[in-house]
Amino acid sequence: MKHKDNGGVTFFLNSTKNIFSVFFSLGKRAKKTKAFYLISFIPVVMALVIKFGQILSERSDIGGIYIFTNIIMAFYLQFLILILALFFGTSVCSEELEGKTLTYLTTRPISKSAIILGKYTSYTALAILMTAAGVVCSFLILNVNSLLDFSLYKILLRDLAVLSLGLICYTAFFTFIGTFLKRSIMFGLMFSFGWENVIQYFPGTTQRFAIVHYLKSLLPSTSGGRFSFLLFRLEPSSPGTAIAMLFLITGVFLAFACLLFSLKEYILED
Amino acid sequence: MTAVIETQNLSKWYRNVLGLSDVTLKIESGITGILGPNGAGKSTFLKLITGQIKPNIGNVTVKGEKIRNNYSLFSIIGFCPEQDSFYEEMTGWQFITSLLKLYFFSTFEIETKAQKALEIVELIKDKDRVIRSYSRGMRQRLKFAQAIAHEPEIFILDEPLNGLDPLGRRKIIRLIKTYKSEGKTIIVSSHVLPEIEAMTKKIILIHQGKIFAQGDIHYIRDLIEAHPHIISIKCSNPRELASRFIREDYVLKVHFGPTQDGLLVETNNRDKFFSLLPSLFVESNIQVEEITSPDDNLQAVFDYLIGK
Repeated sequence: MKHKDNGGVTFFLNSTKNIFSVFFSLGKRAKKTKAFYLISFIPVVMALVIKFGQILSERSDIGGIYIFTNIIMAFYLQFLILILALFFGTSVCSEELEGKTLTYLTTRPISKSAIILGKYTSYTALAILMTAAGVVCSFLILNVNSLLDFSLYKILLRDLAVLSLGLICYTAFFTFIGTFLKRSIMFGLMFSFGWENVIQYFPGTTQRFAIVHYLKSLLPSTSGGRFSFLLFRLEPSSPGTAIAMLFLITGVFLAFACLLFSLKEYILED
Repeated sequence: MTAVIETQNLSKWYRNVLGLSDVTLKIESGITGILGPNGAGKSTFLKLITGQIKPNIGNVTVKGEKIRNNYSLFSIIGFCPEQDSFYEEMTGWQFITSLLKLYFFSTFEIETKAQKALEIVELIKDKDRVIRSYSRGMRQRLKFAQAIAHEPEIFILDEPLNGLDPLGRRKIIRLIKTYKSEGKTIIVSSHVLPEIEAMTKKIILIHQGKIFAQGDIHYIRDLIEAHPHIISIKCSNPRELASRFIREDYVLKVHFGPTQDGLLVETNNRDKFFSLLPSLFVESNIQVEEITSPDDNLQAVFDYLIGK
């Protein structure tokens, strides 16, 4: 019964696909997923409150798309995708160690890299779906009066693409951190709300050391208003460079995560 | 007979704690029992031969191939870990089918094999319940099912009878013996001698990370027979029972406990003692509350054997 093609690309891709399918369906049922679904719907509640407020006060001096853009910048980009990526990314490895279930995966005829990549893709897909659900609902609520204006859908698609790229990149980074560090959540929180929130405002090339810099470079710079401080001193990279950098960061950290997971010895403590 | 699993000078330590020291073994097909008290190094040995951890010194080969990072070998190995851990949110069925998916079986094969494995461990009725709601015995049987579901050639079972009721134990033991008759290789660890004894005569004794003895169970049994056993009995009339015991040549000492409701008996022939005990109770018309054996464990035996 020994598998013959255990070194080939097809074998590796099939292993990754099998791990993806197992953990995507397991992830859907997980308690943490349900909790994050609730969090990702906070902006939907905010959008409903704002919209009802506008209807009741009969005022609509602030456009729906303006509020939507600010929700994307303030809530999704700087908070939700970081939290989702942190908890899903670090759990790729740490949940197997903490739950002592790693043995069930490492005693199967699949490579350790396939375990990491399969779990990473399944959790990233879940996080993207979760984010997209909240974003689309918020968009529809806030723009309920102009749903036939198709130019607005371009903004929605662009924002969804940027948030997905952010999730892909951050989850890869946190997957690596999860394979590397025991207390990965603590480090992740410091990185997300310390490093990422501070470095992006540094002038010159320093801000390029933050992932969020590349994400913001893909969004148009909004001007003025109460949220202008969020764009303080942003010196955007070109869209091409930003996309290339995001994929490069993703690739590098995933490669490191796979390598480390294959070489490192994990002891399941009693 | 050629060795299925071979280890050479296998040594493993965790920082400054010795896990296993200089183990050189050849394991052939059939059932091999790994026996040792808790913390002796049994699980370390099984993790090393399944490539889950790497040795500091030495090497392991399974069917002539190095095991570490040799994923294809896992198609022929079924491993039942010691730890009681699962993907708790899955049902028993989902757990088995998910793990079978990782062997590249077709959907039909996955379902057939899962069905068969769950039937063998008698969990088919409970297959749709989440694992979180399973009893300890059911969890143990599920863990066993995942090790046998893909029909491997080599079974590596770490304390597979833990948490099972006597009937469950008997069924698993019978099943393991069936695999032996099919020419498969089974390695079973336990810290309970009668469990291993019920499965095989080939045993390896591990103590403090070293192979303490290896061979036929009778040799080990003889060593253990010579080990004086203390048995505690709580009964309605301990003094009457003591008077009966001191007439028997296999009883070395009798002590009365501080509460006066029981006695401690030291014997050099545990099997004879227990075989004659029921008739002694009946003849003397003594009601028994409890019989325990405070040193009836491998640690005590090992301590005795190494002269502690």
